[in-house]
Amino acid sequence: MSTKVMQGVRVLEVAQFTFTPAAGGVLADWGADVIKIEHPVRGDTQRGFLNMGGVTLDPLRHTLFEHPNRGKRSVGIDLSTPEGQEVLYELAKQCDVFLTNYLPQVRQKNKFDVEHIRAVNPNIIYARGSALGNKGPEREVGGFDGTCFWSRSGIAYSMTPEELPGPISQGIPAFGDSIGGMFIAGGISAALFHREKTGEAVELDVSLLSTAAWASGAVIAQVAETGVLTRNPMPGTGGAARNPFMGNYQTSDNGTINLCTISPTGHIRSLFEHLGVPEAADDPRFSEPRALFENAGAASDILIKAFGAQPFEYWRQHLKTFSGQWAPIQSFHELLTDEQALANDMIIEVEGADGGAPLKLVRGPVQWNGEAVETTRSPQASEHTEIVLMEMGVEWDRIEEWKAKGAIA
Amino acid sequence: MKPGTRLKSAACDTEVMVIRAAEGQIECGGAPMGEAKPAEAAPLAADFSAGTLMGKRYVDAAGQYELLCVKPGKGSLSVDGQALVVKDAKPLPASD
Repeated sequence: MSTKVMQGVRVLEVAQFTFTPAAGGVLADWGADVIKIEHPVRGDTQRGFLNMGGVTLDPLRHTLFEHPNRGKRSVGIDLSTPEGQEVLYELAKQCDVFLTNYLPQVRQKNKFDVEHIRAVNPNIIYARGSALGNKGPEREVGGFDGTCFWSRSGIAYSMTPEELPGPISQGIPAFGDSIGGMFIAGGISAALFHREKTGEAVELDVSLLSTAAWASGAVIAQVAETGVLTRNPMPGTGGAARNPFMGNYQTSDNGTINLCTISPTGHIRSLFEHLGVPEAADDPRFSEPRALFENAGAASDILIKAFGAQPFEYWRQHLKTFSGQWAPIQSFHELLTDEQALANDMIIEVEGADGGAPLKLVRGPVQWNGEAVETTRSPQASEHTEIVLMEMGVEWDRIEEWKAKGAIA
Repeated sequence: MKPGTRLKSAACDTEVMVIRAAEGQIECGGAPMGEAKPAEAAPLAADFSAGTLMGKRYVDAAGQYELLCVKPGKGSLSVDGQALVVKDAKPLPASD
């Protein structure tokens, strides 16, 4: 059983790659009927990714396609033909939301810009994902999260310690896309509510650049106010210069435990006891916060030695009862077995299109009524063309006619 | 064969929806497919045992037949003994 807050909402998605499709994926997690339009021959260009993050992708277990496209149905339409546009309008008439990341000039050329879609359905919410926004001199320029979210925004610059010879890369495929997709889904939810209350259908825009700016908003406000831009410090181990309860400590097997106990009051004894050096809590150099800050180096040395005596897994379990703030520096391998991630149903399974083992996916970040998401695998390209069109009341003769002209697949 | 008809394999679990068809015999696992499953399962022919995949479309070279797999199985599809092939999307290659 899973709560479907978007049940009854129909989304027409004309989008590729991750950013904007991820919004459709989140809405599908929430119960919307998301109809994904793909080119009848090529499909979503995302399907063409051969390698990602050093891994060769299996077209039948294509995790990069699965993540943003779970729970959808696929209809193959060639939008460059008048017949294809006719099919799209037929669908748009019966949808609540039109979701696209095609560039403005393509929307104009293939006649699915807001005025064309609104001409057949004045009440449709028109949602655009873009690289740099739908206004301004670069509105017709495309981009990926690596370019607009990571590089242009200032994130790459601030993430990179100045000692490094070049900027660090985004590192995680579709990182900015996946964050931004949720922003679009949030915007669509508000737009649906607004339409319900007032009857007005809005247009909405989220760009990869605006996604990055929002995610970095705390520091951007600080820069605007003070002119001071902070960058990542060089990674290192041991305690921070002033607070030994802040820092990254290495375990005996080269794992890392992050301490982030900004205000040590009330946590000093708990930490030293957990580290097996309870006597340090009674040492006047460390027993209260101000003294601890003054003797940060000496305390850090004790912590370095203690953490270095046991392996990562020991600390990962043992520190669960420590009263202060800390975290194991986990990898995504470990997230997949993290008991909190699992207890909160963050990982879901969908069937493999090859009939093999299920694929594990991350659900959208919002949980409804404490229930797990139930969804289906992503569609094969054009898998649901006839089924969706028949559902929408299109006669088979018309389907055949469109098919013969290559307008649909 | 009327488009939209659902056919079941006599030799495995495969079910297809007919999207386009001419007068030939549609088979799965080497045995004729029908709207009902026969009481006794047909043997799975070795030459037609590559399996079907859910959601895939299967077509012939002449463009006369198109079957959409709605339930996968161990058999593979053919018309009058001629194997059908998967109509796959041909996405533009991309890589990071």
